[in-house]
Amino acid sequence: MEAGLEQKYNFDVVRWFTIMAVVYLVVGAFVGVWIASELAWPFLNFDSPYISFGRLRPVHTNAVIFAFGGCVLMATAFYTVQRTCGVRLWSDKLAWFVFWGWNAIIVLAVITLPLGFTQAKEYAELEWPIDILIAVVWLAFSFNFMMTIAKRKTSHIYVSNWFFLGMMVMITYLHVVNSLAIPVGLFKSYSVFSGVQDAMIQWWWGHNAVGFYLTAGFLGIMYYFVPKQANRPIYSYRLSVIHFWALMFGYVWLGAHHLQYTALPDWAGSLGAAVSLAMIIPSWGGAVNGMMTLSGAWDKLRTDYVLRFLIIALAFYAMSTFEGPVMSLKTVNALSHYTDWTVGHVHSGALGWVAGISIGAIYHLMTRLWHTEMYSEKLVNFHFWTATIGTVIYIVAMWVSGIMQGLMWRAYDEFGTLAYTFVESVDAMHPYYAMRAIGGMIFLFGAIVMLFNILMTVRKSVSEGSLNKARALPAAA
Amino acid sequence: MAEHNPFPGENNTGHIWDDNLRELNNPAPRWWMIGFWASVLWWVGYAVLYPMWPIGQEPTPGILGWSQILEYERSLAQVTEVRAPFEERIAGMTADQILADPGLTQYTLSSAKVLFGDYCSACHGSGGAGNPGFPVLADDDWLFGGTTAKLAESIANGRKGAMTAHKGILTDAEIDTLAHWVVELSEGQPGSEQGWALYRGKGCNACHGEKANGILAQLPDGSVVTVGAANLADGIWRFEPGGFESARHTIAYGVNQPGVEQTRDAVMPGFAGRLSEQDIKKLVVYVHELGGGK
Repeated sequence: MEAGLEQKYNFDVVRWFTIMAVVYLVVGAFVGVWIASELAWPFLNFDSPYISFGRLRPVHTNAVIFAFGGCVLMATAFYTVQRTCGVRLWSDKLAWFVFWGWNAIIVLAVITLPLGFTQAKEYAELEWPIDILIAVVWLAFSFNFMMTIAKRKTSHIYVSNWFFLGMMVMITYLHVVNSLAIPVGLFKSYSVFSGVQDAMIQWWWGHNAVGFYLTAGFLGIMYYFVPKQANRPIYSYRLSVIHFWALMFGYVWLGAHHLQYTALPDWAGSLGAAVSLAMIIPSWGGAVNGMMTLSGAWDKLRTDYVLRFLIIALAFYAMSTFEGPVMSLKTVNALSHYTDWTVGHVHSGALGWVAGISIGAIYHLMTRLWHTEMYSEKLVNFHFWTATIGTVIYIVAMWVSGIMQGLMWRAYDEFGTLAYTFVESVDAMHPYYAMRAIGGMIFLFGAIVMLFNILMTVRKSVSEGSLNKARALPAAA
Repeated sequence: MAEHNPFPGENNTGHIWDDNLRELNNPAPRWWMIGFWASVLWWVGYAVLYPMWPIGQEPTPGILGWSQILEYERSLAQVTEVRAPFEERIAGMTADQILADPGLTQYTLSSAKVLFGDYCSACHGSGGAGNPGFPVLADDDWLFGGTTAKLAESIANGRKGAMTAHKGILTDAEIDTLAHWVVELSEGQPGSEQGWALYRGKGCNACHGEKANGILAQLPDGSVVTVGAANLADGIWRFEPGGFESARHTIAYGVNQPGVEQTRDAVMPGFAGRLSEQDIKKLVVYVHELGGGK
């Protein structure tokens, strides 16, 4: 079935992105566990500025979002677009430029962030020379993808590719506008925006990094890998069309909900909240379409561990796309904002949805790209349970901690004075910080098992010669 | 491309990608479509109720008349209503008068708890338990006096003690002798003759007092105050961890000596510009009641 594909398509670049994605998953999760542990046991920063929470936190977020998430997106987008268009990538050279360029950006991030070079914009910390590099590499990625679609042999563009395209267009726009800055040195610049406008632009980017990168991009992954792995047709074409356009038009309005009860004008805040709540149903469109794809084949979940990852990811997706809009309402936001609840919400999306769908897609890719079975199916199942249990422990710890924080900060005594000092709330968080770190450790352990499993699979492929055999097969017409 | 349909009878759209990817012609679930239109209505309804569109001079206000600042003012008014009677009463009173009234003292302690937590506890610890290098406020050992008047002075204007660096003035052996002697005093022993001789001979007693207990003056009301010179005759150490090495360091390099690199740093900032008089008064009552007020 896979005969000749190795000559027809460029899978080499996909293989490298896949391996690097898993490496960065381990690295990003490790840094995450480290800083979570610093919060629980502060001696772990060893009084060094380079590994203090403030500097390692952006290393963690950049590693998981852009290093891990980016490599997953690039691997799956290049894989999906070739297979659903029936043609090789428009340019192999440009694809390799994207691979080396993206990894160079990651290396630069790992060097500059601990040294303290930052634009101090969340999820957009990297300084201006790196921002320019990101724009160039991202455009190269997008251009190669679009040109491959342009020369496709299929009549229609597959739904995954709509989502990838939406992500590429919007992320280019968001990244460029949010990163507009005046350089005053090689590693120092000032945003061209100021005050509340700067904050609004920042969260217009910040929420849409979630909306277009971590949602649209990974829905693109979902729409290819769920039906492929389940060998079932997608439940509803019409649903995919409506929820695609609803997400595209809706998401860009949401950023304001990060700035409730600030200097942001009232109208912007309530507009953000109104659209946020109206986004639950469009978001669930994707989750429903993915899950209903399994209708009539639910028994597969009992034996197919890869499918388990893909489906639990959709469950987390549905849950966090309900939670987020609720948190955007001012009444709820007044309690949840600035607390760990937000951190928990982000991680139910990041660990449950993004990592879940990515891990499922990577396991699917492993067998197709190396033309062999996984080294150990049991370890895939083991990874499934560690990832799920670790994520649940993490989220529950942050729910309890966040809601407790919110309640303590607003508690008044009978004299109308605040009942708790800030430090008392910090003290009350300690058990949950420890619990969160342990949840993260369990998740990290699963990621290390995954890295081991895929490296052993590559080794197995090498010793069997399966990849070389596949490469030797002539391309089918 | 007019593909032949390899999956007949399953009602797909007729488009096949990558051998077996296809989409069914199912309509979106009914509950989902209802939810979708309800979401649109929700948005419209929310726009009627709340500020939403930045059209014209002022954005559309929404018929509820809600605004962030109004919500803030209303909740502040609720709190103020509870607090006002107390606040008005203590405004015209001294800290000592407040302390004489158990009800007002309770209000003031409750009110000052968060002030202390936000402004004082970072150095002095929760409940004034102290931290290495920062004095305990919950005992009756005071460097600058524990009366309400002295506490108010300390909080409002801050404190900065000073002690000469004796390296160069005393020999290393003399510093060692004094350090040993201080450790003996702190353990409740009488202290060596040599130590006492050096202490008086070199003029340490000018600040730390004849009996080395730091007391400088007795006020007309009978209370005694110090001017920041530590009591050397008790078990409390101004600079952690205490003991021989600590004492030797302090004697050698002094306290707050400009130009002396290893000098002890001991500065309490003044809060007069940062806190209102009322807040400082509340903190005086709070610190006084931590356990050691005089």
